[in-house]
Amino acid sequence: MSDKSKLGSLRSNNLVLQENVSAYLFLLPFLIFFVGFVLYPMFMCLFTSFFDATMGRKDIFIGFQNYKELANDPVFWVALRNTLVIVVVSVPVTCIFSLWVATIISRMPMAATSAFRCIFYLPVVTGSVAVTMVWKWMFNNYYGIFNYLGQNMGLIDKPINWLGNPKYALGCIILILLTTSVGQPIVLYVSALDNVDKSLVEAAEVDGATPMQAFWRVKWPQMMPTTLYILVITTINSFQCFALIQLLTSGGPKNSTMTIMYYIYYNAFKLYRYGYGNAMGVILAIIIAILSAVQFKLGQEK
Amino acid sequence: MKKILALAMVLCMIFALATPLSAFADDAVTISLWTYPIGKWTDEATVKEFIAAFNEVHPEITVKVEYLDYTNGDDKINTAIEGGQAPDIVMEGPERLIANWGAKGLMLDLADLVPAGTFEGVASSCTTADGKVFELPVCMTAHCMAINKDVFEAADALQYIDLEKHTWTTENFLKAVQAVADAGYDYVGTVFCGGQGGDQGTRALVTNLCGGTYANPEHTQYTYASEENAKALSLLCNQAGITFDPAIVASDEIQNFVNGTFQMAFCWNATQEVNNADALSFDVFPMAFPAPDGVPSLQGGIWGFGIFDNKDEARANAAKEFIKFLTADDAVYTKVVEATNFQPVRDVAGVYEGNELMAEYALMNPMMGDYYQITKGWTTARTEWWNMLQRVGESDGTPEAILVELTAAQDAANAAAAAE
Repeated sequence: MSDKSKLGSLRSNNLVLQENVSAYLFLLPFLIFFVGFVLYPMFMCLFTSFFDATMGRKDIFIGFQNYKELANDPVFWVALRNTLVIVVVSVPVTCIFSLWVATIISRMPMAATSAFRCIFYLPVVTGSVAVTMVWKWMFNNYYGIFNYLGQNMGLIDKPINWLGNPKYALGCIILILLTTSVGQPIVLYVSALDNVDKSLVEAAEVDGATPMQAFWRVKWPQMMPTTLYILVITTINSFQCFALIQLLTSGGPKNSTMTIMYYIYYNAFKLYRYGYGNAMGVILAIIIAILSAVQFKLGQEK
Repeated sequence: MKKILALAMVLCMIFALATPLSAFADDAVTISLWTYPIGKWTDEATVKEFIAAFNEVHPEITVKVEYLDYTNGDDKINTAIEGGQAPDIVMEGPERLIANWGAKGLMLDLADLVPAGTFEGVASSCTTADGKVFELPVCMTAHCMAINKDVFEAADALQYIDLEKHTWTTENFLKAVQAVADAGYDYVGTVFCGGQGGDQGTRALVTNLCGGTYANPEHTQYTYASEENAKALSLLCNQAGITFDPAIVASDEIQNFVNGTFQMAFCWNATQEVNNADALSFDVFPMAFPAPDGVPSLQGGIWGFGIFDNKDEARANAAKEFIKFLTADDAVYTKVVEATNFQPVRDVAGVYEGNELMAEYALMNPMMGDYYQITKGWTTARTEWWNMLQRVGESDGTPEAILVELTAAQDAANAAAAAE
């Protein structure tokens, strides 16, 4: 290689290096945040799960003892079952309902579409405590609006203690979760429907496709990335259902609304069993990771 | 030349920023006070008055206040402890200061600050087995219950009450509840069990009703799985007008009592009446919990100051000065107690002078029983209690079935006590 080409190569390498350094400098603030608030806590969660960790004394290494205890903890299994029920019910319902609403409001005039988008998004931007308190009032056993309407319309003979009865409590939690979960998917689906290639839809219609066929064969495949995102986000949010439980039922009655997230909080912050709580956190993270991977895989195949 | 000038200016700025404030005020120290909602100790104006008075004597000490609530207060403090940011002073009761943070070695011994004349029962509740005092007691109360006197009068149920002593027997309590229920009230009283908030009310109700206990006198074990308590719960389960509600906690119960939905509150004290005075549209009559012989053992409440051991001598000394200022001098202490709406923990002349309401509630003090909240495993015991009540509310109401639930809860609580 001649001296000239060597010099050129060196300059080129310097330029690449400079660009890389600039790029990493731009990324640095986020990287610091990511390492400090995501990676480090994740590592600490895994690390602490192998210890008997509590307040006011040094942690004691106990290997997999926390995980063994989890396997024999009946409340953990109840919490896991309740969490899965929430996920299995709320994820499909949220997606289907959002898609249905989005298809209806996307056909409306622009002003109406915007208005409905705002209305459905309101519970998302309203503080969760405020939303929960309003629902708590509506479900109230003594003067709640549901019992008032139910009795006046002859649907129920006597007041139902919605949040105090193991038969209804989890259903009530899921209902509230749905109202706070559908806002974002509706907005995303409306955008996805707007972005569908109109020429393909028109071509299908010219070829004799019915509106239903045009939707499922042409629009739906183009909305797949949005659907995948909504599925993953809704699944994670459903797994992490916590505020509603803490504000409304504290996991009761008779553990009927106990979820893994609340049980983690209860063990870590009420009983100071940090190691045990972290072990549950690890299990929850693994379950969410597996489900998300399956959803991505299925989404890619589609 | 310009570069040298710029460098000099930068150096000046760095030195100015790096110069510690202590260089200007050698003795200045800032301490933090975190307080739970104890009477007016949740009111910023009241607390600021005390701090202003303190600063007249100690201008070098700055006190920053944070107001906690009973829903998230524990979480907030525990998170701060884990993050090495514990407050210097916390105002709360022995169940947290002694049995919890004190037992974990996080508090400073305040034995030398306890004023002479502090009631023996109170002082002993704030002292550990090895003689350490992790709480400087300030005020106390005997938790009681309350009835809607207007409704009871209309239902002719006042005949079952000793109106002078504010007491009743178990038999008369059940008759009174029946009378009010017969008068058309579905919700005479509700055993709230949606969480641990205000559970002193349900504990006192159950353990007094048939002469049961909650913990042994040594505070080493829980004893609530007894035939007496099973019988008491069975009586409550089968009594018209009494319901078990897992959807509410004490604050909801109080709200429902104040708005007239419930005719009794099992979680009540003088502060509740003072705080809800504007909303009450009926005559509240404070009552002791029913007992077979009409002489109950009431659940006490003690509140005071604790100091976290933050390994900073200057802050620790400043914190001690602050709580000494509030408790040592009778004149200041009187105001401090009156701000809590509870009773003093030592004889002080002039507290609540001419206040009929506080005099009425003071009738409960001689009935105060054992302060068992300092028994080990307390956190678990509390959780087990309200969960047990939820299961009992769903049971067939027989003493046998209830005893099974009591035993399961007690076993878990005792296991936690043994593990601590």
